[in-house]
Amino acid sequence: MDHMDTEATHGLKLRGQFSRRQIVGAGLAIPAFGVIAAACGDDKDSDTDTTDAVGGDTVAPDGTGGEPVAGGAIRLATTKPASPLDPIAMVDLGTYNVIAQSFEYLTGPDGAGIGPMLATEWTANADSTEWTFKLREGVLWHDGSAFTSADVVATLGRIASAGDGLGGSLPREDDPDAPPPEGDASPTQRLVEGAVTAPDDFTVVVKLDSPNASLPYLVSIFNPQSAITPVSYVPGTTLDATPAGTGPWILDSYDPNTGIKWKRNDAWWGGAIPLESVDMQFFSDLAAQVTAMSGGSVDAIQQFSVVGGDALLNDDNFQLVEVDASNHRQIWFGCDEGQFTDKRVRQAFALGIDRDALLSSLFDGKGKIGNDHVIFDLYTFFDPGAVDQRVRDTDAAKALLADAGFPDGIKATLNAVDLQEIPQLAELLQIQLAEAGFDLTLNVESDSTFYGTQWCVTYPCAGSAELGIVDYGHRPTPDVFLLKAFKSGGDWNSSQYASDDLDAAILEFQSSGEEDARRVASGKIQSIMWEDVPAAIAYRYNGLGGHSKAFTGIEFTALGHVLFQKASKV
Amino acid sequence: MTRYIVKRVLLSLVTLWLLATIVFLMTWFLPSDSARLILGAQAPEASVAQFRVANGLNDPFLTQYFRLIKGLFTFDFGNSWKYPQYEVWDYLKTPLGKTAKIAVLALIITTPISIGGGLIAAKFRDRKTDRAIVLFGLAASSIPEFVTCALLMVGVGLKLGWLEPVYSTEAESLGLFGQLRYLLIPALALALAYFGYIARMMRAGTIQALDSDYVRTASMKGLSGGQVMRTHVLRNAVAPTITVMSVQIGYLISGILGVEYIYNYPGFSRVLIDAATDGDLPVLQVAVIISALIYMIATLFADLFIAFLNPRARLELGTS
Repeated sequence: MDHMDTEATHGLKLRGQFSRRQIVGAGLAIPAFGVIAAACGDDKDSDTDTTDAVGGDTVAPDGTGGEPVAGGAIRLATTKPASPLDPIAMVDLGTYNVIAQSFEYLTGPDGAGIGPMLATEWTANADSTEWTFKLREGVLWHDGSAFTSADVVATLGRIASAGDGLGGSLPREDDPDAPPPEGDASPTQRLVEGAVTAPDDFTVVVKLDSPNASLPYLVSIFNPQSAITPVSYVPGTTLDATPAGTGPWILDSYDPNTGIKWKRNDAWWGGAIPLESVDMQFFSDLAAQVTAMSGGSVDAIQQFSVVGGDALLNDDNFQLVEVDASNHRQIWFGCDEGQFTDKRVRQAFALGIDRDALLSSLFDGKGKIGNDHVIFDLYTFFDPGAVDQRVRDTDAAKALLADAGFPDGIKATLNAVDLQEIPQLAELLQIQLAEAGFDLTLNVESDSTFYGTQWCVTYPCAGSAELGIVDYGHRPTPDVFLLKAFKSGGDWNSSQYASDDLDAAILEFQSSGEEDARRVASGKIQSIMWEDVPAAIAYRYNGLGGHSKAFTGIEFTALGHVLFQKASKV
Repeated sequence: MTRYIVKRVLLSLVTLWLLATIVFLMTWFLPSDSARLILGAQAPEASVAQFRVANGLNDPFLTQYFRLIKGLFTFDFGNSWKYPQYEVWDYLKTPLGKTAKIAVLALIITTPISIGGGLIAAKFRDRKTDRAIVLFGLAASSIPEFVTCALLMVGVGLKLGWLEPVYSTEAESLGLFGQLRYLLIPALALALAYFGYIARMMRAGTIQALDSDYVRTASMKGLSGGQVMRTHVLRNAVAPTITVMSVQIGYLISGILGVEYIYNYPGFSRVLIDAATDGDLPVLQVAVIISALIYMIATLFADLFIAFLNPRARLELGTS
């Protein structure tokens, strides 16, 4: 299942994250409150710490220049977890951040990529089909027992049973011991015996179905469901019911409606932790988080957006942390039937978009314009010479439409989910595209109905509307975007796009271990997507978080984790 | 009186049964798939099917219906689907208590002020004081509670710093007095909205009483103004006010919803909304029934209180 694989599911995480907000916020005109709160800020800009890290970790500098002080507690405003605290089944950012305090991953964030966490080193064979992970010795579970390779083997087995297993990389087979499926349900699967082995207590060998040079990313903190849990965990075990972990924070108390408290793990392998405790307070609404941060009710905020978060951008007591990320929106086109089957129509749509205007209006420039492919310029293997940047040209767009048999333009419904800036994006697109010959009617729906009706009625994805906007969160590599959204038959392929050329280029990309080879494959992917435009991608935007200047050392990842092991008061 | 109470309680039980049936039918006919909502859009069909079996979603209509009715009698509603480690009542009782805190605080604030305001307005009928009170009441009750709450959060919380601009879990470790700093903004937002209704009703009731024959007779008998007010005016004027207040408790609960949401207050209304959004049917069903129960109990107490205050009402009820 997908909510297993990579952090992958970030499109979904965001959905879960905002589900309550949608329902209630729409009725309460909450955005207006954001404006009211903004009016209370002064005109000074908050300090900004920006990182271009793909992995996305950063340590925010303190704003006072004071010395770090050991001890004390920190309060974080965080999105209320939308799912139970099940490390494997979780689907939202709020839960990811909770789980990442207690559990750890084989690989963690490290500057522009990933680095050691529970694994200290990893190597692959020549075609990246077999990976060997060396595990950290001396790591203890919170109950004092030793962490070993058996825990990793058990975790990967659970991941394979629960879904498609690390982006489909882990070999799986039907589980003969599972109860027979009901109705049309697929049979329960399990990891193929021998696919993951432990030659000794601190070595794990993973044999894949197909080459995958990105495996270390798929077992990283950026694939949240790959958190390493103890052998004793079974599918459905939740952190609050069975507290465990090897991480820096031990669960102290949890209330699904109010928040979660952590106490320091003095036996953590990473060394001394300055703070004594962390108090995560749950919020269902961004405006309340922003108010809490502005009013000093919390010391840090996990994530916010420019739309609704402008009060913080103008708060001189607030240390803004801006993380370069691959968060983006895909404006998908039905490639199999309807008005967008001709790629000239899709190209015309893409040519009608004023990308700079969108980025400026919606994100205050905090991001980069997109070029209708998912090999973003922050990836080291991005090929800058593969395709030209597409720029707005409404005359060319109209000419393409006429060539495609639509001299009078096209009437279509643009479906969008009521999430973050997406409704405003839809409105701006409606205005911009009118000049390019597209007469768009908007249909903005709550996330409780959008996913499953307009976007992907069934899985693998089928039945989507012919035109719509869907959200995708950060990934440190584009594997998930490619495999899920654009590969033929992908689980989230709302475009129903199918291209043998792209499928081959994706396979080439995944099996390329060397940077140069990956860049060549990336160039092919960029070209194919730019030409075929299965989805228009107007921009990618940066992750925004931040904290009071009374603290230092708080780490923010591009995905939205906030890590406190190095944090302290100043 | 006892006969009346028994009659009302029995009637309430019938109402409760009808309500439980309606709630069940509403959730039964919901277009969304609770198993899918709970497990997530991407959960494998096998897991969803397993969830349906485990939670009786595949059971026949009547089996599921009688499970809910049985739960009402045995007070065993099973466990939350979203948070299966919690029994439904255990899951609901804490937020219910939190909501009760701000509701009661709002009533404590608004009741004396609005009754006093209504009396003063009536006493100074058609004069500036009356107009000021009526105008303020109209304005206060016209603004939605959550807007008032937002304004208080910004003004009193952020700008002035007198109260907490947003609820914080830090309040949980404080005593009741210490918690006031975290409770007053939502309570004031509710109290202000409530003030408009109650004060106007009190004013109207008082004017009606002041114009009545029995008040004129009492005055002519030589009773002092205070005695007339206490003995004759207040008793009669307060009856319709109490009726309005009891009815308003229903609105108070719906008003709390917006206030809790915007103030990030982890109360009952938020849990109810979350349960509806998440497809947590056991929690949703019980939460709706509890909301209705509160309304029914408030109405019953209002009727009894009116009967207690007003002999004429007791006569009408046949209980004197």
